[in-house]
This record gives sequence, C-alpha cells and structure tokens, in this order.
Amino acid sequence: MKKALYFRLKHNVPIILIVVAVIFGTGTALCQDVDSLVFEGYDALYRGDLKNALLKLEAAVKVDPENEFAHNQLGIVYAKKDRFNDAFNEFLRVIKLDNRNTFAQKWLGILYLRKGEMNKAFERFNEIILIDPENADAYYFLGAIYNFRHNQAKAIEYLKKARDAASQEADTHYRLAKAFHNVDMTTNALLEYQRTLKIKPSYTKAINEIGWIAYNQGDVETAISYWKKTLKMNNKNREAIFNLAKAYNEIALVAVKEGKKKEAIKYWKKTIIINPSNKAAKYYIKKYGKG
Amino acid sequence: MENTLRRRAFLKMMAKGLFVSSGLLVYPSLGWSEDAMEYAFEGQSLLHKKYYIKAVQVLKKSVNLDPESDWAQGLLGRAYAGLGQKAEAVVAFRNAIRINPGDTYSRMMIAEMTQKPITGTQKEKKPLTPLEKKALEEEEVMLNRLNAKKGLGYNVKRVVIDAGHGGFDPGAVGQSGLKEKDVTLDIALKLNTKLNSIGKIKSFLTRTGDYYMPLSARTVTANQHQADLFISIHINANNKRSANGSETYFCSKKASSSEAEKVAALENSVLKFDETHKKKPGYINIEEILFRFEQKLYWTESGKFAKTFQDRFKKNLPFRSRGVHSANFYVLRRAKMPSILLETGFISNSSNEEMLKKPAFRDKIVDSIARGIS
Repeated sequence: MKKALYFRLKHNVPIILIVVAVIFGTGTALCQDVDSLVFEGYDALYRGDLKNALLKLEAAVKVDPENEFAHNQLGIVYAKKDRFNDAFNEFLRVIKLDNRNTFAQKWLGILYLRKGEMNKAFERFNEIILIDPENADAYYFLGAIYNFRHNQAKAIEYLKKARDAASQEADTHYRLAKAFHNVDMTTNALLEYQRTLKIKPSYTKAINEIGWIAYNQGDVETAISYWKKTLKMNNKNREAIFNLAKAYNEIALVAVKEGKKKEAIKYWKKTIIINPSNKAAKYYIKKYGKG
Repeated sequence: MENTLRRRAFLKMMAKGLFVSSGLLVYPSLGWSEDAMEYAFEGQSLLHKKYYIKAVQVLKKSVNLDPESDWAQGLLGRAYAGLGQKAEAVVAFRNAIRINPGDTYSRMMIAEMTQKPITGTQKEKKPLTPLEKKALEEEEVMLNRLNAKKGLGYNVKRVVIDAGHGGFDPGAVGQSGLKEKDVTLDIALKLNTKLNSIGKIKSFLTRTGDYYMPLSARTVTANQHQADLFISIHINANNKRSANGSETYFCSKKASSSEAEKVAALENSVLKFDETHKKKPGYINIEEILFRFEQKLYWTESGKFAKTFQDRFKKNLPFRSRGVHSANFYVLRRAKMPSILLETGFISNSSNEEMLKKPAFRDKIVDSIARGIS
C-alpha cells in the first residue's frame, strides 16, 4: 500500500484508480484456480510462511470443499499454529471424505497421542494397517506405544515392520534398538543403533546407548570414548555428562579400594571438569586429596 | 483424481515454460547432454499431448543419459502419474527433490500421492554384513523366548533398586544412632536377592555398599539397565518425634500437598543442567509429542505402582499408612520409566526406629515391595 501511495505521489495517479486496482487484484485472487491455491499454499507452508499458507489453503477448501489434500495441508498449518482442535477437525473432514486417506488417519492418531488418549491413537494406527499393511508410520507409532508399555516383544514386532517398510528413518531404528536393548538382544540393539547413526550421525542418544552396551560388557574405555564423542558434538549433553560422571566415579571408587588414591583423584577431577556440581567428586577430592 | 493430477502437471508444465525457453540458451552452457535435453523436450511435448506411455519411454532415455536433471526427473514423475503408476512417479519426484530441494512442486506431488497407500514398491536386497548375520542368529535364538503379551498393560521385567543416601551422606539419623543409609542399603540388598531368586524379574542396584552416589548417577543406573521400574528406598524423618508410618511418593509436575513439596525439596539436589524444551514456532516435533506422552504415561503408571506398594505396606506392616503423595523429585523425574520413592517408616520416631532395627521387620518390608512388583 505504501508503494502504491508513493507511486501516486510520484506520478499523480488518482487514489481511486489505485483502490480499484487493489479490489480488482483481490477479486482475481479469489477466483484463482483451486490447484494454484493449493500449490501456493503448499509452497508457503514449505517455506514456513504460515500466514500465507493459511490464507491460500483456507481459500482452496472454500472453493473445493472435497479437496482432501488441501484439507490435510490446512490441518498441518493449524497444527503448526498450535490450533490443534482445528487441525483435528480438518483431518476428520478428510476421513469423512475418504476413510482410506492414511495421512489424515495418521495425524488423527498423533493428535490423540498429544491429548494423551492412547487407546484411541492405538485404534487409529491399527486402522491404517488394515488399509495399508505396508504403512511404516503406523507400525512406528504402534511400536512406540508398545515401547512405552515396555511390551518389548510387541514393540520389536511392530518396529521391525516399520523398519522393513521404510528403512531410512533414524527414529525407527533407534526405538527398535531400545526394544532389543531392553530384552538383552545386544547384537541386534547395536546393529540398530549403528543404523540410526548411519542415517543421522548426530543422534547422540544412540551414541550414548552404544556406550552403555560397551560399559555393561565391561569395556569401560570404549564406553567412555562414546560418551566423549557425544560431548564433542554437544558439550552440554546431560546424558553423556552424567554417564561419564558415573563411570569416572565407579573407576575412582575401585581405585580407592585398591589403594590407588592418586588414580582415583584423577578421575574425580575429570568428573568436576564435566560436571562441576558433582557432590561426590568434590567430597572425595577433599577427603583423599589431603593425604 | 487422475484428472486433477493431469491438470496440475499441465499447470506446472506451463509454469515451467518460461524456464524451459530460457533454458534453451542456458542448458548447453551448463554442460547438459544435448540428447538428454532433446529427449526431455520430446517427453514434455508428449506429456502435453497426454501420450503418457511414449512420454515415459522418451523421458527414461533422457534420465538415463542425464540422471542429475531435476527437470527431466520431474517430467518423468508426471508421465508416470499420468499412467497412474504412483510408485514409479514417487521415485522420480523424489529424485527431482534430491537434485533440487527447492522443487516444491515435486515435493507436493509426493505429498499428494502418498496420502493414500501406494502398492507395488519393491525393495532391493543386499548381502548381510557380519554384524547383521550375528544379529539374525541372536534373533532366531532369543525372539521366540519372548512372550508377546497382547493388550496395553504395563510390563515389568527389570527393576532398579536405589538405596537412598550412602557414604558421607548418612541421611536421617535416629535417636539411638540408626542411620537411614544403612537401613536402606540392607533393604535394597535383600530385595535384590529376593527378586533375582524369584527369577521372573531382573533387578539391579544403584549402590552395593556404603558410598555416596549423586542423584544423577542413580537415575543413570536405571537408564543404564533399561529398567521398567525404578524404586528408591528411603526412611523418613520429622522434627515432630511423634510422626510415624509409611508413605509412598511418585513424580508429578505439582506436589500433592505442601508437605510433599517439602519432602521433595529435601530429597532434591541442586542441578544446573536442566534443559528447557523451547518450542520452535511453526514446527511440529513429533518426537517431542511422543516424549511428553511417554512421560505422562510413566507418571500415571508411577501413581498406580505407588498405590499398590502403599496398599501392601498398609496390609503387611504394623505401621500407620500415611498414603500416597506426589511431588517433583529430581531422582524420579529423570528416570525414563515409572519410578517411585518409598518412605518405610520414620527413623525420628523411637518406636519406628526400634522396628527398623529388626531384620525380621526389614524382611516384611522387602516382602511387601516384592509382592507389589510381581
């Protein structure tokens, strides 16, 4: 508008003409083809321009209320704007248009999880599998739910299906690894943690867990090297800090038992470097440092 | 649906028209194979005429000659879409995006086509690596042994037992000198032996002797062993000597009472590493949704376990039951599983202290906890 006014001042164009031009422009936009609206809305959504995405997609569903894709994308925009009830209604609309729209089914499941309604989410993801027995996302969420219930046999069953349907998801490999890890299938756990890292090398949770596999097998040095690797990526990674602190503390306590106080203090000092508020390390340095 | 796709492909093609015409001048200078480009133009023309079969044939030639052309890959995707071969179309569109991540149209086509199931996708089989072979062998042996339970009930197979305090931190001390750290360790060791002897549940200890373990290390132990349940054993104390009985705590955002809040404050240590999960505007983090859901589930489960244990105490111990409370305990909050904190009597109460000294009474506590788990 500012530009239009500047143009008027510069070229002395009557303001009424500018207003007419603006109205005409808006009118043209409203008459836009629904496909263009959807494309522009999708493009805006992809670029993170939620305001424009909302505008275009709301216009698209007005023009074509049966456009499942537009409703789905609008649902995503609402969810991104924290308007979860609106998002829920959009996905529900899609399901009413076509129950086989597994994208909408999946998002309804996710929104049920967000509300803490596990059974409804569970039903929704199971519904997807009936429609599409190859749906990796549905298997992933079902596996994750079994993971949360610590029913690892079922979690493994579903997460393996998710992995086999779409092997390029780091989270799927990680959750499957955790399920294997929980039932002491450490070779499988290790393999899945490694696959996680192959897809996403910065997946520090997987690095930390590999550390525990090594640690529990008595390979403390390897474990420490993994946690240090995490700290190199993120020096505030709390898990790695506390894992290292625990390992150092245990090494130090063994050293004290063996009469190697200097060795013990060396490890407690290492602890203080990564975790300055560690009470145990502070106390023992004070206690054994004197003698 | 097919008509819509065709219309959209056409629209996009028209939109690309300008780019294509300018590309006539630009592409040769970019080192494009002229044959590949010729095939692509021919394919585009065939697409325009809706000769999809021929378009696919020609565009495949173009892509074979120049696999890194996002334009040709996108056209091929559209040709496949025109034929209704969604799986192949998605592959071509994915290639287009891989080459040119800014190709929103191909991205949108994938999103649209994958709203519903696509059949006919094939996966390539690769030879197994040594670790994969070993994993397969492990799977054959181990997986059949696991009992896959139906339903969504919570399963406990691994427990981490935490003996409160230790080493330089004696915890509360009774009038006759009984130390909380000694009682908790004894109960924890006995419970560990009992659970492992039953055999159905594996149990692990946060400490096995009289040494101090920071709170963080205790939770870490639970995570180290992939525990399904974390039990922290404590003995209560109060300035009022008359206070007595048992109570069970679990973690919640808000304390159930001001008293519970005080107990949590007493047990918590100061840690400065709390990461705050800041929500990125305009971004849906599914893993964050799952994390919050998981945490909520664990807190609910913790409440159920707390009630079960407290009911056992009420039934088996000659104590007053002070009920179940919730508060934001650090040691419980950091565990990635349901977790509870047991206060099995008041060491500051002389009658409770006398009982806590007796091995037979401690056995009763152990028995109550073990029954509560299984």
